[in-house]
Amino acid sequence: MSITQVDMPLPAARVRPWARWTGAALLALVLAFALLAPVIFPADPLRQSLRHILAAPDAASPLGYDHLGRSLTARLASALRLSLMIAAAAVASSALLGVAVGVLAAWRGGWVDRAASLVADAFLALPGLLLVLIVSAIVPVTPLAFWIGLTLVLWIEYFRLTRATVSRLLAAPGVQASRLLGFGPFYIFRRHLWPELAPMLLTLGAFGAATAIMMIAALGFVSVGMRPPTPELGLMMVELLPYYREAPMALVIPVAATFVTLLGLNLVAKGGRA
Amino acid sequence: MRPLTQAILYRASQAVLVALLVGMLTFLMMQALPGDMAFRIAAGRYGYDAVNAEAAEAVRRELGLDRPALAAFGTWLWDLMRLDFGTSVISGAPVMDEIRHQLGASLQLAGAALALSFLIGPPVGILAGLRAGGWLDRTLLVVSTALRSVPQFLMGLILIVLVSIQLGWLPAAGYGRPVHFVLPALTLALGLAAVSARVARDAMAAVAASPYYAFGRWKGLSEGQLLRRHGLRNIGVTLVTYLGLQFAMLVEGVVVIEAIFSWPGIGHALVHAIFGRDVPMVQGTVLLLGLGFVALNTAVDLTARWIDPRGRGAGEARS
Amino acid sequence: MSELLKATDVSVHAGAEMLVEPVSLALTAGRPFTLLGETGSGKSLLAQAIIGTLPAGLAAAGQVTLAGRALDLARRDGHRALWGRLIGVLPQEPWLSLDPLMPARAQIAEGHAFVRGLSWAEANAAADRDLAGLGLQEAADRRPDQLSGGMAQRVAFAAARAGGARIVVADEPTKGLDIGRRDEVTRLLLDEVAAGGALLTITHDLGVARRLGGELAVMLKGRVVERGPAAEVLAHPRHDYTRRLIAADPASWPQVPPRPGTGAPVLRAEGLSVSRGGRRLFDGLGLDLQPGEIVGIWGPSGCGKSTLGDVLLGLARPDQGRVTRGAGLAPQRFQKLYQDPPSAFPRCLALGRALDDLVRLHRLDGARIPQLMSRLRLSPALLARRPAEVSGGELQRLALLRLLLLDPVFLFADEPTSRLDLITQAEVTGLLTEVARETGMALLIVSHDPELLSRSADRVISLASPETAGPRLRHQAA
Repeated sequence: MSITQVDMPLPAARVRPWARWTGAALLALVLAFALLAPVIFPADPLRQSLRHILAAPDAASPLGYDHLGRSLTARLASALRLSLMIAAAAVASSALLGVAVGVLAAWRGGWVDRAASLVADAFLALPGLLLVLIVSAIVPVTPLAFWIGLTLVLWIEYFRLTRATVSRLLAAPGVQASRLLGFGPFYIFRRHLWPELAPMLLTLGAFGAATAIMMIAALGFVSVGMRPPTPELGLMMVELLPYYREAPMALVIPVAATFVTLLGLNLVAKGGRA
Repeated sequence: MRPLTQAILYRASQAVLVALLVGMLTFLMMQALPGDMAFRIAAGRYGYDAVNAEAAEAVRRELGLDRPALAAFGTWLWDLMRLDFGTSVISGAPVMDEIRHQLGASLQLAGAALALSFLIGPPVGILAGLRAGGWLDRTLLVVSTALRSVPQFLMGLILIVLVSIQLGWLPAAGYGRPVHFVLPALTLALGLAAVSARVARDAMAAVAASPYYAFGRWKGLSEGQLLRRHGLRNIGVTLVTYLGLQFAMLVEGVVVIEAIFSWPGIGHALVHAIFGRDVPMVQGTVLLLGLGFVALNTAVDLTARWIDPRGRGAGEARS
Repeated sequence: MSELLKATDVSVHAGAEMLVEPVSLALTAGRPFTLLGETGSGKSLLAQAIIGTLPAGLAAAGQVTLAGRALDLARRDGHRALWGRLIGVLPQEPWLSLDPLMPARAQIAEGHAFVRGLSWAEANAAADRDLAGLGLQEAADRRPDQLSGGMAQRVAFAAARAGGARIVVADEPTKGLDIGRRDEVTRLLLDEVAAGGALLTITHDLGVARRLGGELAVMLKGRVVERGPAAEVLAHPRHDYTRRLIAADPASWPQVPPRPGTGAPVLRAEGLSVSRGGRRLFDGLGLDLQPGEIVGIWGPSGCGKSTLGDVLLGLARPDQGRVTRGAGLAPQRFQKLYQDPPSAFPRCLALGRALDDLVRLHRLDGARIPQLMSRLRLSPALLARRPAEVSGGELQRLALLRLLLLDPVFLFADEPTSRLDLITQAEVTGLLTEVARETGMALLIVSHDPELLSRSADRVISLASPETAGPRLRHQAA
């Protein structure tokens, strides 16, 4: 936007801070439950009890019990911890990988750029869920497989956006001016590139975590993810589905927890993009 | 935008790389098969009574499990490049035949879902984008954010519980009659429509706020004339490009939804193949889907080029 | 002369704040009316209020009478039926206002078809006649990206007029055009007036106002401070602001005698040849820059002015030739001043921090910052702000300050004032040349305005190709 001709203050870009704060509050709620439930209502998520089969909530488990009499409170908290942990690990590693390769590709240009873009496009052609599925068939430990598979899926978006942002910035006068003034690559990264990349990382991180949680649950739900008796959101749903008539609330619990977590993440992501 | 030949060349190298990637992954998958897997596969094929060490050995040879890894990988890739996917280790039938059987059912489901989502998503998005900030726009924002927070398998679960179990209106699973289409297609379509509505909305809002849209108004055109002459074509590239990227989302949806609704398609088969470690089936299916993505996006490139023939960087060379 | 439009007590508000105080004016057939003012003067808002194109969030009051109808401007719904039929709006930056995917003919024909109700065959024929009348036959099947800026402006003009509007409103019609194209557009507008139409032009360009003639109103901070016949207002300005505005026009700057530089050259270019996109920009160009010398570079858009500077600074490679720097000079003493000041600073960093970074990097004397601040008439409060929170003129002076910390021996100033208002332009250019004289820095200044160059530079290099002969320059070289 040129300076001379703006005859009035431009309307500020639409920001939705309320969305981000609502999202953050929902996530805080989920996180607090996942971390505090084992302290307040200590129970083994794997311990079965004939007396408690599909039992109503009590003081020891405010969320009730499942079809094997296991504490749903303990199982839900454990399932959330698992999903959130894998998601966080996958987001961190994919961000690191994607930003590093993206900056390298934009900075070096030439064949480095072309090769990196081609590899990213090849990964892009494989639907993410299939990639995770195949990796889970290669790596025997499922959480590790999820982490690797999700990293391979999520790094592409980081790469593409970082590469686009960095090439734009490197071609702009700001970086050229800093180079003429004698500043080196580290300064240019810290002062020019990082401040523009950081907000994007948060948005992508929230979207990426949502993708990760969805995939883990989806694979659990169709029985190719975590194995029983591990508590996992999708597995819990598929296990409790047959008992829907007797204990509808037991099924609603993992469904609602998944929805609230994803909504929180989507709101955090959207608030930044608006 | 790159010249045409270069763009096609790029897609071709993407296709080769996709094949290489799939070959590598499935080879690793095969190497990771547990030791008694050959025995198990043989048992699956011939029945537990008939299986013996010889049968297991035959399977091992067939899969190349007895050779050094590097040589096996070479053969593996060679077979792949010749599009020889071998036979399913579980059913014993050629992978190509298996895929051909299942593809039809999947295409029917995907087609129905895509058509449904395109009837809902873009029209709603265009209307919302024309009045950015209006009530429809705000409602769409809330609804699409909520829908995006419901993964497709969860949408399927919710629809099964509500429509099949609670109301008993439609069958939860099955294939063959039109009623069987409703729930799986609707499940897929809702998720796709939520996103395509947002994409159409953002594109339309950008076009409606553009100087050329305002200029059209000042020229004396009515809103309907404006939308037809200057709106639809200008959001076309965005929508078509999005369609290409939507393919990945559609495939993921199809895999999960088929598994949930027991739909006898390629996704259902893939989940079974992964579960049973049927490497040739996995390879054939994933390769087909990956190359399908590349082919579709090549078509998308060409369509986008047709809609918007401008070269990239044009219009910059003015003071 | 008949009155085609009468505006009474038109004002613009944003909530309780009044952005434009009530103004009345009349547009008559055959006589142009021009609103002259700088950024933030409210000239565009006033015109937008009259023709009903104010952005959402702003409200107008007052009354407009045209074609026997009275419109209450407080209501937003009355104008739609007039657009295209009675009022033709010529938009700013027409290359953005034309549909990027539609050929020129169709963009004009739709006015004939939809507004005048012609059949498509007739409408297309009418559009072809319009284009031929503007000398644009060959542009009929081209998209806007295949048109030059001046051609796009003429296509937009034909499109705006196709519905048969007699009243033309032109908002900054020469923005982004170089001098030759600018005169073309004013001629086009004057033809329209001569044919019996009415014209309301909004401009910041004194040259445009002078050429259009007719009635002139000068606006400042939402008020009309002076109005009358253009020739009279420009020749005998009464208001202090109008006087300053006229004095700031490069055409009225004092002529300074050229002073040849002295001493060993800080930069020498020999036999430079550069092509871009298959086109030769310049060939065998040689140049010596001596300390304290001010050299202007003139040329139309796309002639390679900026590229030459980048080659001299080593930011771009020439196809042939070489550039040598004075012996023993540190690399950071060769600097560049950018056209768009905000883009030359890190976007998210307070300006003071950016300066501190530089002081730390080269172990400079930080005490020079306050001295230079006062020399360049900058308020210390600016250092706490980010680039987007500072005006363009201040930012350009801060950019200059940042360079001066490094004691530059050579400065390439790439259209440093083309995005600034007239008065700010005079101020920044003045400071730039003063500093060059004081510090003995060689200054290479690029501009598309020959007046500005011939009044600030010791010599001027023209990069115009022979077929596009440039205006006469005082000290033509190269």
